[in-house]
Amino acid sequence: MVNQHNNEGSVVKHRHRHEGPQKHVVAFIFSIVLTAIAFATVAAGGVNTAFTVMLLVAMAVLQVLVQLGYWMHLKDKGHMIPIIFMAGGFFVAGLCIIAALYWMWW
Amino acid sequence: MTTHAEQATNKLPHEPEKATLEGRNKIMGFWLFLAGEAVLFGTLFATFLTLRNQVADGPSASELFSLPITAAATLILLVSSLTSVFAIQAMHRGNKKSLLTWLTVTVVLGLGFLCLEIYEFYEYVVHYGYGMTTSAFSSSFYTLVGFHGAHVIFGICWISLLIFQVAKKGLTVVTAPKVYVSAMYWHFVDVVWVFVFTVVYLLGKVVG
Amino acid sequence: MAHAHSVKRHKGLMDWLTTVDHKKIAILYLVAGGFFFGIGGIEALLIRVQLWKPMNTFVTAQQFNELITMHGTTMIFLGVMPIIFAIMNAVIPLQIGARDVAFPFLNSLGFWTFLFGGLLLNLSWFMGGAPDGGWTAYAPLSSTTYSTTHGVDFYTIGLQIAGLGTLIGGINFLATIITMRAPGMSFMRMPMFTWTTFVTSAMILFAFPAITVGLVLLSFDRILGANFFNVAGGGNPVLWQHIFWIFGHPEVYILILPAFGIISEVVSTFSRKRLFGYSSMVFATILIAFLGFMVWAHHMFTTGMGPVANALFAIATMLIAVPTGIKIFNWLFTMWGGQITFTTANLFAVGFIPTFVMGGVTGVMLGSAPADYQFHDTYFVVAHFHYVIVGGLVLGLFSGLHYWWPKMFGRVLNETLGKIEFWTFIIGFHLTFFLQHFLGLIGMQRRVYTYLPNQGFDMMNVLSTIGAFLMGVGVIVFLINVFVTARKPSGVENDPWGDGRTLEWAIPSPPPEYNFKQLPLVRGLDAFWKEKMAGNKEMTPAEPVGSIHMPSPTIIPFVMSVGLFIAGLGFMFTTDDFGNSFLNFMFNNYIVVIIGLAITFGSMIVHSLNDDPGWHIEPEEQGGKGVEA
Repeated sequence: MVNQHNNEGSVVKHRHRHEGPQKHVVAFIFSIVLTAIAFATVAAGGVNTAFTVMLLVAMAVLQVLVQLGYWMHLKDKGHMIPIIFMAGGFFVAGLCIIAALYWMWW
Repeated sequence: MTTHAEQATNKLPHEPEKATLEGRNKIMGFWLFLAGEAVLFGTLFATFLTLRNQVADGPSASELFSLPITAAATLILLVSSLTSVFAIQAMHRGNKKSLLTWLTVTVVLGLGFLCLEIYEFYEYVVHYGYGMTTSAFSSSFYTLVGFHGAHVIFGICWISLLIFQVAKKGLTVVTAPKVYVSAMYWHFVDVVWVFVFTVVYLLGKVVG
Repeated sequence: MAHAHSVKRHKGLMDWLTTVDHKKIAILYLVAGGFFFGIGGIEALLIRVQLWKPMNTFVTAQQFNELITMHGTTMIFLGVMPIIFAIMNAVIPLQIGARDVAFPFLNSLGFWTFLFGGLLLNLSWFMGGAPDGGWTAYAPLSSTTYSTTHGVDFYTIGLQIAGLGTLIGGINFLATIITMRAPGMSFMRMPMFTWTTFVTSAMILFAFPAITVGLVLLSFDRILGANFFNVAGGGNPVLWQHIFWIFGHPEVYILILPAFGIISEVVSTFSRKRLFGYSSMVFATILIAFLGFMVWAHHMFTTGMGPVANALFAIATMLIAVPTGIKIFNWLFTMWGGQITFTTANLFAVGFIPTFVMGGVTGVMLGSAPADYQFHDTYFVVAHFHYVIVGGLVLGLFSGLHYWWPKMFGRVLNETLGKIEFWTFIIGFHLTFFLQHFLGLIGMQRRVYTYLPNQGFDMMNVLSTIGAFLMGVGVIVFLINVFVTARKPSGVENDPWGDGRTLEWAIPSPPPEYNFKQLPLVRGLDAFWKEKMAGNKEMTPAEPVGSIHMPSPTIIPFVMSVGLFIAGLGFMFTTDDFGNSFLNFMFNNYIVVIIGLAITFGSMIVHSLNDDPGWHIEPEEQGGKGVEA
């Protein structure tokens, strides 16, 4: 529908600001470091299991947040609705995980 | 706000993917789809976590998995996510040639990841006789990792088709949203992989 | 955009197969949904005939299992959901002042996948037996050990394909409501039905992927020999229950929220009053959706999760009564002091309120975990969910159909027949299901094909069966009404009720293909009413008259769905021996699956390669002509 108007995200920004690759490369390096920490901890072994589990999950969540924010532009303006819905998706996914961890075996 | 394929590349707006309502709809719709995908993989992860210790007579996670292969696959997929960022940046500069190059690199890296995964599955099946029916753990492992692999295959085919389209039709306000959305998809596949290598492989080694 | 693209316009059947117009897709959904609703209704009557006297042998135990399974599955997935989608398609773009949905192609794809999924599921009756594990398909009942026919395979794969259509529809309505609202229509100026559609679509988005996975796991167990729910291989049947209800509980709110929206529109229109407490209604809708995801395990109180989980889910369940109560009171306060006219639509809406409250009260009773040990798997549960689904949703759908029928078809349904329909249906409904509360409380178990005499069940079952037939009469009167009305000349005025409040009543009935010649400017909640009160006859346009761009019709969604149908059929017979070497070769080597998927993905590629230039309706062509219905 070409003649449609809309209110949400309709402000097409015509700023010709060419963002450089720097921040994306930084996000990449950050991801690599987080991944390396995770792999190294497991490869080294000998660390307290509960601590390792928490560390691995934290590394994964952090890395995902960085990638969603920078590479998928969720931290940019005009992404309120995608953020709400992605949060909803992760929330329901989390419910499934909680069910799996606590209410499956007894 | 017309959708004329003939529009010259050099007159493209800075963010051609958001220049038309169709383009913005496509991106919004795709975000919604990805939110649904998050639940899809959440359920698959829940299944895997439920059945992670149910190995029956088959091998367990720590006996099976090899960290070097997983690390290599992770690196490849992570780099391919970065190259697809570069592809979008090339698109924003209106540089069609650079866009096509980065998309091609992304596809090649995706194929590399896929080869490693096929090799891994092949090893399990042939050397360990470890298949879908071995145990509840194996069923959930193949389903979760296989679903991710199927997403990689779909992404490779999709981006290849877009390379062909951009080469043929040029970079326009019609093709740009398609490329942008495929890049979102590819990032999401990488995001899921972050959880796959953490939950399946690393935690499998630690607690499995 | 001066040059017009030529477009091939189809006529007759091809027009319906290729249409991407939301108003025509609405009619397709209504016809297909009505068809499956009829099948589900016949199944219900057969169940009631079997149960009308003790030790009846009208159907066998196996046939009874198939009937109850197919009745539940058909009604929920193939009957009422498509009718909800019919009303959403017919109304939402009009209510938000848009010329179409965000994704007309996907809209068509969603319909055809639903239809072919539904046809595949119902094919089971003719191909070795219908699914027999209940609509919940609990493992191990649904495993190959206890369900040896292909019935459950038809269930998993048919629902998978139909569910894909629902998910597509949900995403489409979300995107439409987010991006396509008319100038001035902020979120808090959206009509209540648009709000409930929005929230329902979000719930579809978050709930359906879970059942997608569940169905994949179950079909892998049955067809590929996986061990997800197979205890011998280390599997866990409780996993299925969790996955099913993580989807299943939101699903019942997916069903009821659109009805809440319809009731809100109808009650306020026929009370000639603004909806009482609009913002609290919006808030309550969102809260119900949120809580709807937090209560799935109240279906599993008797599974043995332990007191902590049971207490948690019991409390969450009872909390839902709060936002629901807000809604009930708001409807009552909307009517309070209003100039109420009891049209058929409003009768159904007013009948909805007490009926739904009764379903809600038994819901809170069931939410109490200790009491649930007594109620579980008895007719008390059957009575409860029929009160919320039939007494809630179906009354809401009838109300909505009577209300928007003139907008969809240009003809007002006959009011006399409508009132007969209402009274037979609602009396039949209460006769059928009110008694079932007591049948359940004195111990009659659901899903059992017969019962022994002299347990106090006999008389109530006779009355219940009579009630079911009365409901059937009500539906038949509705069909007669539809045919009688269809023979009348088309062309009622824009606002046949005279009191329309929202944008759809500002345009012709039925609307032209492009809906709005000029997009309207929205100046407040109940945009059209606001203009009327300001003394205007129509909406203030937000744009000059101009050429309108339209999407081209396409057969590709239909072909894609046929491909999925073929692939699904191929997948479920991969391990069968047909006694025919050609068929064995085709099915056992996945060749049929590959052919089907090739059709689907091939069509996708064709669609992606050929960008649709669309076509334009020039100002001189923009007369008052509407869609043919």
